[in-house]
Amino acid sequence: MREFLTLKDLFIKYRWRYAVGIFWLICVDSVQIILPRFLGYITDSFQSGGLTERSLLINAFYVLLTGILIFVFRYLWRMYIIGTARRFEYSLRDKYYKHLLELSSNFYNTHKTGDLMAHATNDINAVTMALGQGVVMLTDSLFLSIVTVAVMFIYLNKTLTLMSLIPLPAMAVTASIFSRKIHHRYKLVQDSFSNMSDIVQENISGMRIIKSFVQEDNEIFKFIEANKDYMNKNMSMVRLWGFMAPFIQTLSGLGFIIILWYGGTLVINGLLSLGDFVSFNMYLGLLIWPMMAIGWVINIMQRGAASMQRLNEIFHIKPDIYDRKVIDMDMIDGDIEIRDLTFSYRPGLDPALKNIDLTIKKGETLGIIGKTGSGKTSLCNLLLHMYNVPDNTITIGGVDINRILLAVLRKNIGFVPQENVLFSMSIKDNIAFGVEDCSDEDIIEAARIAHIHEEILEFPDGYNAMVGERGVTLSGGQRQRVSIARAIIKKPGYLIFDDCLSAVDTQTEYDVLTSLKDIIKDCTTIIISQRISTVQNADRIMVLDNGMIAEYGTHEELMKLGGLYYSTYQKQQLEKQLNEMD
Amino acid sequence: MEYNIDEEKIGKVYDPKLMGRLLGYVKPYRAYILTCILLLLIITFLDLATPYFTKVAIDNYINGLNTPMYLFKEGESPVEGIGFQGKVLVRTNQIHGKLDKPVYQIIGLNGEYYLIKGTLQNYEGTSVSDDMGITPALTDFSGRYVLIRSGGAEYPGIRLSDEDLRVFRNYDIRHVFMISILLLIIILLSFLLNYIQVYLLQYTGQRIIFNMRKELFTHIQNLPISFFDRNPVGRIVTRVTNDMETLNEMYTSVLVNLFKDVFIFIGCIAVMLSLDARLALISFAVLPLVFASTFIFRNKVRSAYREVRLRLARINATLQEDISGMKIIHIFNRQKRQYENFNNINLDYYRANMRQLTIFSIFRPTIDLLYYLTLSIVIWYGGGNLIQGSIQFGVLYAFINYISTLFQPISDMAEKFDIMQSSMASSERIFMLLDQPEEPGDVHTVKALDRISGKIEFKNVWFAYNGENWVLKDVSFTVNPGETVAFVGHTGAGKSSIMSLIDRLYDIQRGEILIDGVNIKNINTKMLRRHISIVPQDVFLFTGNIKENIRLNKDVDEEKVKRAARYVNLDGFIQKLPRGYDEPVMERGSTLSQGQRQLISFARAIITDPEILILDEATSNIDTETEALIQDALRKITQDRTTIIVAHRLSTIQHADKIFVLHKGKIRESGKHQELLKKGGLYYRLYLLQYSDRNNEAVSP
Repeated sequence: MREFLTLKDLFIKYRWRYAVGIFWLICVDSVQIILPRFLGYITDSFQSGGLTERSLLINAFYVLLTGILIFVFRYLWRMYIIGTARRFEYSLRDKYYKHLLELSSNFYNTHKTGDLMAHATNDINAVTMALGQGVVMLTDSLFLSIVTVAVMFIYLNKTLTLMSLIPLPAMAVTASIFSRKIHHRYKLVQDSFSNMSDIVQENISGMRIIKSFVQEDNEIFKFIEANKDYMNKNMSMVRLWGFMAPFIQTLSGLGFIIILWYGGTLVINGLLSLGDFVSFNMYLGLLIWPMMAIGWVINIMQRGAASMQRLNEIFHIKPDIYDRKVIDMDMIDGDIEIRDLTFSYRPGLDPALKNIDLTIKKGETLGIIGKTGSGKTSLCNLLLHMYNVPDNTITIGGVDINRILLAVLRKNIGFVPQENVLFSMSIKDNIAFGVEDCSDEDIIEAARIAHIHEEILEFPDGYNAMVGERGVTLSGGQRQRVSIARAIIKKPGYLIFDDCLSAVDTQTEYDVLTSLKDIIKDCTTIIISQRISTVQNADRIMVLDNGMIAEYGTHEELMKLGGLYYSTYQKQQLEKQLNEMD
Repeated sequence: MEYNIDEEKIGKVYDPKLMGRLLGYVKPYRAYILTCILLLLIITFLDLATPYFTKVAIDNYINGLNTPMYLFKEGESPVEGIGFQGKVLVRTNQIHGKLDKPVYQIIGLNGEYYLIKGTLQNYEGTSVSDDMGITPALTDFSGRYVLIRSGGAEYPGIRLSDEDLRVFRNYDIRHVFMISILLLIIILLSFLLNYIQVYLLQYTGQRIIFNMRKELFTHIQNLPISFFDRNPVGRIVTRVTNDMETLNEMYTSVLVNLFKDVFIFIGCIAVMLSLDARLALISFAVLPLVFASTFIFRNKVRSAYREVRLRLARINATLQEDISGMKIIHIFNRQKRQYENFNNINLDYYRANMRQLTIFSIFRPTIDLLYYLTLSIVIWYGGGNLIQGSIQFGVLYAFINYISTLFQPISDMAEKFDIMQSSMASSERIFMLLDQPEEPGDVHTVKALDRISGKIEFKNVWFAYNGENWVLKDVSFTVNPGETVAFVGHTGAGKSSIMSLIDRLYDIQRGEILIDGVNIKNINTKMLRRHISIVPQDVFLFTGNIKENIRLNKDVDEEKVKRAARYVNLDGFIQKLPRGYDEPVMERGSTLSQGQRQLISFARAIITDPEILILDEATSNIDTETEALIQDALRKITQDRTTIIVAHRLSTIQHADKIFVLHKGKIRESGKHQELLKKGGLYYRLYLLQYSDRNNEAVSP
C-alpha cells in the first residue's frame, strides 16, 4: 500500500470528505444492525401477549424510519466516498497530464503513445476503484462483521452465536482462496485473449500475403485453435467461479440451518425467546455480504496498488530539459553560431551530428540539403532545445542556448515541422495555436501568405471548420500550409522549415516560397529540404551527409564543386523531365 | 461497400431486428438453453421453498407448544401425533377442517406449564387454582389437577411436570431436526443444480461466441483486399475481440437470467398469495411505485451513462492527440492553454461522473426505501392480523423473507440495461461487418486449372482503386510461358498495381486479363492464386518459426522445406541459427536482416513450384555477400517459369527477356535493355535516375 504515498497531498486534502463519508457508511451499518432488534422485539412482545395495535404502529413506523435513514445515509456515503474517489480520479488525471506536459522529447521517444494511454485509462481506473469501491467494501465488511458479531455475542445467546458463525470463517477463507485462484486463471484468460488479438492483428496486417498464398484456410485453422484455447481458458475459470458463488451461498445456508435446528431447539426448550431467534436469522443475513466481499476487497486493493505503482514510475521520471541558470531576457536577436557540435540521442548511439561548425548571420537564409537520416531534423531539434546540448555549442546572439528561457527561445522561432501535426480544433484555432491573442485579420493574413486562404474559404464552415475525424479532412499539402501559417503568425525573428513542402507539387511550392519571400527576408531562416528547388535561392546552402557538413556555399559555388549537391541537382532535373513527359 | 460506423455510438437497449439475429446463433443450443431454464425453474422453486419450510418449522414446532390439540385414542389418530398418557394428541393445524374431538392446549403461566381442556388465547387476567375439587372426569389426563380461570370461563387441566413437558418438546425438537435435514438436502441440491446451470450456461455462451467469432473471422478472410485498404486494422480487430466479448456478457448474464428474475418474481408472488392472499395484496401495493421509479430512473440512468461514455471518449481522444503532438505543444509554448483545454474536458468528465453518481445514489436507495416501506406495511398490517389471530407468526416471518427476495432482481435492473445497451451497439457493428460483400469468387468457375503453362495477357486493361483515378490506362502486353519480364517506371507508374491484378487482388474496370487464354474472372480465385507466387518488397513474416514461415501450409514436409531453402541459398544461414529451422521468428522478423528475409520470401514462393512468379525487388541496400546469394537465387528461381519482376537492380533488368517501361499508367516502351538504352527515351532517363549510381554493380550502358 506504500504505492499510494504519492497521493499523500490528495489524501490530506480530502481527509474530511473521506471521514464524513465513512461516518455515513458506519451510520448505515449501525441502523442496519438495529433493525433485527426491532423485529425481535415485535416477536417477543407478541409472544408474551403484550403486542398491541398501537405498539405495532409505532414499530412499523420505526422500520419505515430506519428505511428513510438508510436511504439518506446511503445517498450521503455514496456521494461522499465515491464522489471523493471521483475527485481523486480527476486530480490524478490532472497530475498525470501536467506531468506529461513537462516531460521532454526524450521521454516520448522511449514511451509509446498506447502505453501512456493505458496509464491514463486502465491504471487511473483501477486506482479509482480501489479508492472508492475498495474503501467502501473494506470499511463496510470490517465494521459490519465486527459489530454484528459483537452485538450477537453480547445481547444474544453466546453458544448459538458461536455455532451459527461456524460457516463464516470457511466462507471468508473460500472467498479469499478462490479469488486468488480466479485472479490467476483470469490472467490466463487475459493472456489467451491477447494471443487471439495478436493472431487477428497479424492476420489482417498480412492479408495480402495470405490471399496471394491462398492461406485463408490455414489462417482460419490457426484462429480456431486460438479461439478454442480462449474458450477453454474461460471455461476453466467458469469451473472455479461457477463453483464459488453457489458454494458460498450454500455455506451461508448452512448457518441458517444451524440457527433453525439449534436455535429452534433452544426456543422449544424455553432457553431462547422467539424474538431472539428471529434476530439471529437477520443478523446472519447481514454477515453474508461482508464475508463474500473479503476476496473482492483484496483483489481490488491489489490491482489498485499495482496500477498506482505503474503510475508512480511515470511520475518519478524527471523532465531532462528545464530552465536552469537562465538569463532574464524576453527576446533573442542576432547570429546563430554552432561550434563543434556533436550530438547523439542516447549515450552509446552513433552521433546524429558530428563536429558541426556553422554561423547563420542574422537575416540570412540557410538551406540544408541531405538524405533521410543525414541529421537535418536533429539540427532543428537542437536549435529548438528539444534535447540537451553541451554548453556553449549553440549560441544565439552570443547567448548560450542553455541560458535562454525555453519559452522565450520557442516564442521567437517559427517552426514548421516535417510531420504536420494539427489538432482537433477549428482551422482558425490551429493557425493561432502559438499566439495568445490575435485578430481574425492576423489569421487570414497568415493563411494568405501560406497560400491556403482560398482553400479554407471553400470548406463548409470556412475558418471555423473543424480539423480531424469529425470535421474536414485536409490533404497532406493543405496540412503543411496550415502548419506554415501557424508558424508565421507568431511573427518570429527566426524561421525553420523542416522539409515541410515535400507534399505539395512544385508549382504550389513555388507559389508558397514566393509569397513567403518578404517574411523570409526579415527573418533568420533555415529551410531544410530534399529538393534543390526549395533551397537554391538561399544565401548559403549546407549539404549534410551522415551527420557531417559535406558541402557548404551558395548554389553556384556548390554547382561548380560538382559533388553531392551537383549530382542531386542533376537527378532532380531528370526527375522533373520525367514528370513533365506525357 | 461503405463500412463506416461511429465507434462511440450508444445504441438502444433492445432492437428486435438485432435480437432476432442474435437469437439465431442460439438455435443450435436451444436444448442447452432450455435445460438451463428448466434448471433455473427448479432452483427458483428450491430457493423459494426454504423460507416456506422455515415458516413451517416456526409455526408448527418451534412455536408450536401452545397450538390447540385434538385428543385421539391410541391408534386412532389419522396423522402422527404426540403420545401422552396412553392417548394421542394431534395439533389442530396438522389436520384440515374441524373435527368433533375434545381440544386441549398447553399454556405457560409464570414458568409453569399446564395442559388444559379447551383453548385460551389471551392469558391476561388468568388465574390458576390448585386441585380444588377437580375430578378426573373433567379431563382425560391424570396428574396434579388445576383449574384455570380466564375471562369468566373455567378450564380444567393438569400441571405438566418437567418429564411431561419433555415429551411434547422432544416431539418438536425431532421435527425441527427433520426439517433442518430437509433444508440441508435442499441447499445441497440447489448448490448442485446451480453449479450445473452456471456451467451449462457459460458453456453455451462460450460456444455461441466461439461460433460467431469463427464465422466472423472466416468472413473476414473472404473480404476483398480493397476492404482492408479502406479500414484500419485496429477497427477490424476490435470487432473480432472486444465487441464479441460484450455479446458474451449479454448471452450469459442477461438472456437466461432474465428468466430467473421472472421466475423469482412470479414464484414469490404466487407463494405469498397462497400463504395469505390479503397480506400479499397489501404488500404488493408498493410494487407500482417500484416500477414507476425504475421506469423514471431508467432513462436518467441511461442518459447519464451515455454522457459519461462520451466524455471519457473525449478525454481519450484528447490525450491521444496531445501525447502524439507533444513536440508541437512544446515548440509553440502551448502547455498552459492545452492544459486549460484538457482540464475543462477532465472537469466535464468529472461532472458527468458525479451526475451519474447522484442518479445512482438516489435510484438504488430509493429501491431500498421502497423495500423498507413494504416491510413496515407488512409488519403493521401482518402484525395486526397476528394479534387478531388470523395469521400465524411464521407467515409473517416468511413474508419478510419473500419481500427481500422479491426486491433482489429489481436492484440489478440498471446494470442489465447497461449490458443490453452496449451489446446492441456491438452486435450492430459486428453484423455490419458480416454484411460486407465477400470477394467475387466462384460464380463463373469454369476452369479447374491443374497445370498451366503460364502465359499472361493484358488486353486493354483500365484500372482505378476508386472512381475515375485511373492507375492503369489501356494497358496491353503479353508474357509468354517461361519468360522473365521486368517492369520499370517511376514511383506511382502503376507497377505494383499490375502485380496485384495478375493475382486478382482487385478487379479491373475495363479490358481483360488472361492466363493461358482464360479470363481470370472465370477462374476460381483460390485456384488461380495457387499457380502464382508473390515475393513482395517488404517481406511479411508470421509469428512462429523459420520452417513455418517457409512452408506456410501445414502439409508440406520438412524435407521439402529444406530443399527449397538450399535452392535459394538460405540453408547455410539457417544452419547457423541455434535452433535451425525451428528458430522462432521474433517480432515479425525484426531480428533478421533484410537479405535473409528476402531469401525466406524466395523459399516460400517456390516451395509450391508455381508456374508464375511475381517479384517486387527490395529497394534497400543489402550487404554484398547476401546480395550475391540473392542474385544467384534469383537466377535459379526464375528459370523455367513465367516471372514478372518490378526491377530495382540493374542485373535483374539486364537478364530480363523483355522490359516494359510504365509511365503514368501506360506502357511507353518495351524491349531489351540495350535496345531501350539506345532509343534514348524514357527508359534512358529512368536508367540514369535509378540505376546509374549503383556503384556496386559494374555496368556499361
